[in-house]
Amino acid sequence: MSYEWHWEVLWQSLPILLEGVRITVLASLITMIAALVLGLMVALARIAGGPLGALAYVYVEFFRNSPQLMVVVWVFTVLPLVTGITLSPLLSGIVALTLNVSAFVAEVYRAGITSIPAGQTQAGLALGMTRIQLYRRVLLPQAVARVIPPLGSYWVGLFKDTSLLAVIGVAELMYQGRLVATDTYRPVEIFTGVALIYYVLAYPQSLGVNFLFRRFRVQE
Amino acid sequence: MSSTAYTWHFEAFYRHLPFLLEGIRNTALVSVLAILVGSVVGLVAAVIRLYGPRPLRWLVAFYVDFVRSTPLLVQLVWVFFALPILVDRSLPPLAAGVLTLGVYAGGYLAEIFRAGILAIPSGQRHAALALGMTGRQVLGRIILPQAVVRMLPPVASTFISLVKDSSLVSVISVAELMWASQSLVGFTMRPVEVLTGTAFLYVALTYPLSLLAGILRKRYLAV
Repeated sequence: MSYEWHWEVLWQSLPILLEGVRITVLASLITMIAALVLGLMVALARIAGGPLGALAYVYVEFFRNSPQLMVVVWVFTVLPLVTGITLSPLLSGIVALTLNVSAFVAEVYRAGITSIPAGQTQAGLALGMTRIQLYRRVLLPQAVARVIPPLGSYWVGLFKDTSLLAVIGVAELMYQGRLVATDTYRPVEIFTGVALIYYVLAYPQSLGVNFLFRRFRVQE
Repeated sequence: MSSTAYTWHFEAFYRHLPFLLEGIRNTALVSVLAILVGSVVGLVAAVIRLYGPRPLRWLVAFYVDFVRSTPLLVQLVWVFFALPILVDRSLPPLAAGVLTLGVYAGGYLAEIFRAGILAIPSGQRHAALALGMTGRQVLGRIILPQAVVRMLPPVASTFISLVKDSSLVSVISVAELMWASQSLVGFTMRPVEVLTGTAFLYVALTYPLSLLAGILRKRYLAV
């Protein structure tokens, strides 16, 4: 029952785990940037309506409702066979997570834009603004404040979800953890250490997101 | 592009559909058990965090923050590979999966329940206490019946997330849909059709649930 802890194994393996942290951060950053751009296009397509809007709806619902692990495995295994394009595991993972996160991000943008009273759109158009001017000068600046806090939540979620990329062999933190745990025969210390590293990295981020929610609270 | 054109063989998927449906059964089982475990854990955690003694409150706050700040996959691997060594007792994959998903969801549900309870005006609690009700009676007869309605939409969303996240227990070889799909890939050598078909099976499972959650949200949150 009494377990003999060997924390020195964790200390010795720390450099390898931190190498994984680097990939975790890199994958999260690239995915988030790509998802912010793709999500905006999807949101605008959905608001515009028509066949493109319908396509955007299917995109959003499909990727919001399918498990991330499923999409990660699908992009890694199926995409090369169907298209003939082979991506590295890291790039496949980033593509898969981008598909997933952009669907959620698109809904955040859409909610941010459509929550601005329609009177403002009508007023802007009545003043002779073009659609593009309306978006750039009236709608988007206000929408930004409404979308920043929920985007922060999705960022923290994404940061944790990059651990799924371990399944397709991307050497991020979780993958390195499994590698070291097998090498050292010390799964207890290593996996506890991996969990603590994630906690130390992600918890301050969620505190930051809580701050954003308070800071950008919209008063109506 | 014609040289890379792929010839689809979806019959590999259709022929083995019963095998995948068996996986769906386990996906449903794991998700339902996990939401039940999560609801109990979450309710206890929410009540302690609101009304419990101070050190216990801190402990529960740490639990909630910890499960929400670490990846589910890490928790799952920890429970399956590290916990058995610590307690010197082996844990079957299904039990480990349900336990992890339940405790994970419990962290999210605790916050949902807490917010739901806090949304009931405190005057009602004071009034009930003034009428001589015990703390337990106030919670069971006054607060929770009203709070449950507000909690329904976010609980439904949590359940949908659990159905999707239950795919992770394939990593510890619980025979749910994701696991069934991957073993079928090995058996049929048709990853394209099997994985694509499975993705649609998941969406067929979760999309109606999302629509339902949307209806609940309109009905109960627009009060």
